[in-house]
Amino acid sequence: MVKVLFFGRLGDFSENIELKVNCTEIEATPKKIRSLLSEDNVNLGKQLAAAQVLVAVNKVIVGWDYPINDGDELAFLPPVTGG
Amino acid sequence: MPLNDDDFMRYSRHLLMDDIGESGQEKLINSRILIVGLGGLGCPVSTYLAGAGVGFLALCDPDRVDKTNLQRQVLFRSEDCGEFKVSCAKDRLKALNDSVNIEIYPRAVDTEILNYHYDLIIDCTDNLPARHVLNKQCSENKIPFVSAAAVGWEGQLIGFDFNNYSSPCFNCVINGQLQDPVMNCSNSGVVGPVLGVIGSLQATIAIRMLLGYFQQHGEMQRYDGKRGQWLTMTSMRDKACMVCSHEL
Repeated sequence: MVKVLFFGRLGDFSENIELKVNCTEIEATPKKIRSLLSEDNVNLGKQLAAAQVLVAVNKVIVGWDYPINDGDELAFLPPVTGG
Repeated sequence: MPLNDDDFMRYSRHLLMDDIGESGQEKLINSRILIVGLGGLGCPVSTYLAGAGVGFLALCDPDRVDKTNLQRQVLFRSEDCGEFKVSCAKDRLKALNDSVNIEIYPRAVDTEILNYHYDLIIDCTDNLPARHVLNKQCSENKIPFVSAAAVGWEGQLIGFDFNNYSSPCFNCVINGQLQDPVMNCSNSGVVGPVLGVIGSLQATIAIRMLLGYFQQHGEMQRYDGKRGQWLTMTSMRDKACMVCSHEL
């Protein structure tokens, strides 16, 4: 089980969810979770594939290949660049 | 530089605070800050820092005031349209606090501007390439760096105390080699007060850094104004970072 948080405007494409996966079995990473989510929600998948989307696991910003364990919280954050 | 009679009156609300006081106010007065970008973030940042009595502000922005700026860039007036932002900003900030020395650069940030001495550089730009230029300068020269951004309802804030930490840096968190996102305020819009929230926090972090109260090197804060949510995250060093990995 992974708690998945869609921050900011990504929340327009999906509610926060608890994804029922066995992280050890699928060798879960943010990239793998993104693929799973994109299969069910194409529009969300497009947003998550955009350049400079950040991912955080347990409130630490990590890379897309960072290992995720059962019980972790994974957050997707859209890019913010204006000013 | 000791405080004068006018300073005691003007900065009395700082002087009342034990953790600022005369010594803290003197630190602010003796500080030099470069603010890059005088848009939605740079307006509140420069206003609060001039009000706080930061002794020297360098303002850098190549743009002129446009009518579409007025919805959020609170230093400017309708009659400023067509004028350089930095010129208008200087007039307004001097009217607020004439004792602040203000240097203006109506052009994109360049090596000459960056090579002057600053105690702090504040990123109020609207694009990633400029943020990476500032990050590199600050990382290599151990200059504290406060970066922020906003678009739509969302804001981002991150501070790096390069005086005391060499890593992570902005490039560890947001890789400069990747494609620049296409969304910005010009093509996607932005809610004015979101810039005010984030810009005010940038100014707060700047004051904390100058006074020695900043302990969150590399911590990123995200604000979603539409849902009223905040998220605070730490960042990690990228061992392959092109900017700061050689520092270790």
